Amino acid sequence: MIKNPSHPKKSVRKVKQCKFTEAGLEYIDYKDVETLQRFTNDQGKILPRRVTGTSAKHQRQLTTAIKRARFLGLMPYVAENLR
Amino acid sequence: MTVFQTENIQSKLMNSYYELTYIISPVLEDEQYPAVIQRINDLITSKGGTVEEVEEWGLRKFAYEMDKKQTGFYVNLYFEGPATAIESIERAMRIDDEIMRYLTLKYDAKMMRHKELVKKNAVPEVFPVIEEDDSEEDK
Repeated sequence: MIKNPSHPKKSVRKVKQCKFTEAGLEYIDYKDVETLQRFTNDQGKILPRRVTGTSAKHQRQLTTAIKRARFLGLMPYVAENLR
Repeated sequence: MTVFQTENIQSKLMNSYYELTYIISPVLEDEQYPAVIQRINDLITSKGGTVEEVEEWGLRKFAYEMDKKQTGFYVNLYFEGPATAIESIERAMRIDDEIMRYLTLKYDAKMMRHKELVKKNAVPEVFPVIEEDDSEEDK
């Protein structure tokens, strides 16, 4: 069962691609809240790399951008309905 | 030793490009905002900087309550200036009661390239296929 690669229990791994690398974006802007919001969950937490497939380089940029946006009140630290 | 001295002088003379975003307290009247913006611009100029462009985002709602306030007047500006000026500009803004928050960023080559793209309106879209709202664009 384990050795058979086409076994239904063996899920096929989806290859995740970094959205920023695909787009060829060099700098992630904290002012672009709409894009940043896609990388947070409904609580306002930053999604991990293993979920979004973002490259390490861009994930680092992304977290700083989100934190800057939060500081300026453009994005929530904690979602409104949870406070 | 002389090498160090020249480096020091160079770093003092060298101007960098900065982005500054600040939030003006919403307790002011509408006609008072331009005066505050003018004051900040003058402050930067007096410290040896040159203001390149000022963009008023206007009154915006915060994502969370900040200092018991729900809204703030956002101003985003770009300026060029010596590194020594930043400290005194930030100090003045920190003391200023009308400024709620500020964020100064020094621009490196990457960010400058990004800004050029923004100017040309050619920023690569991270999520190119957006079905739900604006599908009539691009195609």
